[in-house]
Amino acid sequence: MKDSIIKEHLFNKDIDTIWKAITEADEISAWFLKADFQPEVGYQYTFNSTGENCSPITGEIKEVSPYTLKYTWVVIENPIETLVTWKLEEQNGQTKLTLEHSGISNYQSDTAIEMFNSFNGGWDNCINGLNEYLTKLVDAK
Amino acid sequence: MQSNKITKILKAIADPTRRDIFHALVIAASALPITEVSAQFEISRQGVTKHLKTLENAGLVEITTQGRERFCSADPKPLKAVQKWLQFYEQFWGDALSNLENFLDNKNIKE
Repeated sequence: MKDSIIKEHLFNKDIDTIWKAITEADEISAWFLKADFQPEVGYQYTFNSTGENCSPITGEIKEVSPYTLKYTWVVIENPIETLVTWKLEEQNGQTKLTLEHSGISNYQSDTAIEMFNSFNGGWDNCINGLNEYLTKLVDAK
Repeated sequence: MQSNKITKILKAIADPTRRDIFHALVIAASALPITEVSAQFEISRQGVTKHLKTLENAGLVEITTQGRERFCSADPKPLKAVQKWLQFYEQFWGDALSNLENFLDNKNIKE
């Protein structure tokens, strides 16, 4: 059993359009979560979730080199660090995005246990809030 | 949950042969004699027994003795926490990527 999530997606867009969408604050805020974000290594970013009682997400940018973006992912109410990596590749005129979110096996057992115990708390209900928000946003355009 | 317990679970599921043994027991859905389990694998009975002990140690397998035969059965409950984390983020990132696609398509129309 793995404990990381890997998603691949082919976009019918050029690589720089996608790169902009995942690295620029106003773009991230439009399709994902309201972002305080600078594509600079060491920057402490914040993503604000939109639902009620939803904890923001924060983390540190670890890598920004076209076309790899890597940052730690910490849901503030459950302070356990995981890692999110975005990779873009040109593929026959399309852009392939590989997203990896790796989890608990990166950590020492004390952190792993905290994660096991605390994941039940709260943040998972925010996914619905996110979807509603994004649906509205797309409809508004 | 004890932290060494988590470590044992992660260690137990890290080995592909142990995952296969565990999977075979989950599918069987009842206690199987160890002899029957080891017959399904191309490793020695001692090897299978060793893997079963590791799984038992992690709380993923229960081994009981009935007469001269030892039986084992799977208990997947300890895996629930890992599974829950994965399910949540599978959906979360899946939704995020379709939102990204919609966003880019809409932007194109606008421009």
